Amino acid sequence: MEGIMFYIISIITVGGALGVLLSRNPYRAAMWMIFSFFGIAGLFVMLHAQFNAMLQIIVYAGAIAVMIVLVMMVMDKRTLESIKRFNPQAFWPALIGIALLADLSFLAYKFKINVGNAGKHLTINGSNTQMIGEILFKHYLLPFEVTAIILLVALIGAVVLTKKDIS
Amino acid sequence: MTGYLIVSALLISIGATGVMIRRNFMIVLMSLEIMINGAGLFLITMSYYLGNVSGQVMFIFIAAVAASETAIGLAIAVMMYKRKKSIDINDFSILRK
Repeated sequence: MEGIMFYIISIITVGGALGVLLSRNPYRAAMWMIFSFFGIAGLFVMLHAQFNAMLQIIVYAGAIAVMIVLVMMVMDKRTLESIKRFNPQAFWPALIGIALLADLSFLAYKFKINVGNAGKHLTINGSNTQMIGEILFKHYLLPFEVTAIILLVALIGAVVLTKKDIS
Repeated sequence: MTGYLIVSALLISIGATGVMIRRNFMIVLMSLEIMINGAGLFLITMSYYLGNVSGQVMFIFIAAVAASETAIGLAIAVMMYKRKKSIDINDFSILRK
């Protein structure tokens, strides 16, 4: 049962990614991207990471997809859709991508770890969110603060870049 | 476990190929998101099979960094669109002589 679910969800995920790669219309590509994000959220639920699955849906399929679609909305539809699909020299990069896939798949096939602890120590009192909170605020407090500063800097950078005139 | 790792490898390589061969800057950004998600899937898989929740905490940081990266990327896209009226990456050459 779980194997069949895994195959269905991974076909959704990889199919969405291929849709982004191959679709001509950028709006349709954004929809494929959201499809792929939901598939990844399903994979996270299968890996007992419920909090991150919800975070995936809220941050990626919610915020990032809305940002991208909103920016595409304010652009001119004809300039957006008249762009050709691939670069003129797309053959060698595609070959590099296939080589990367072969390399990473070989690594995934050869990768062996001790899976004795699989699925354990992921919850406190049956709650995944509580465990993440414990680890995040006890061991990773400084990276958490730095992430907050990164978000602030990105906000300021976006405002400065899109100002009226850059002189 | 191998299945999850192969899905992660597929996502990373599809995203990298998309970054390299597409011409529309918006789709390049989307492919970057796909790549980041492939890395996140790898982290969550390792977190499950090693029984250590630190990978899931790392994913939270990755999500925050991905959001800020997309914001900056879209700001660059809007800036170049205002200047060039195009988001074809082959037109993005204002630093070239």
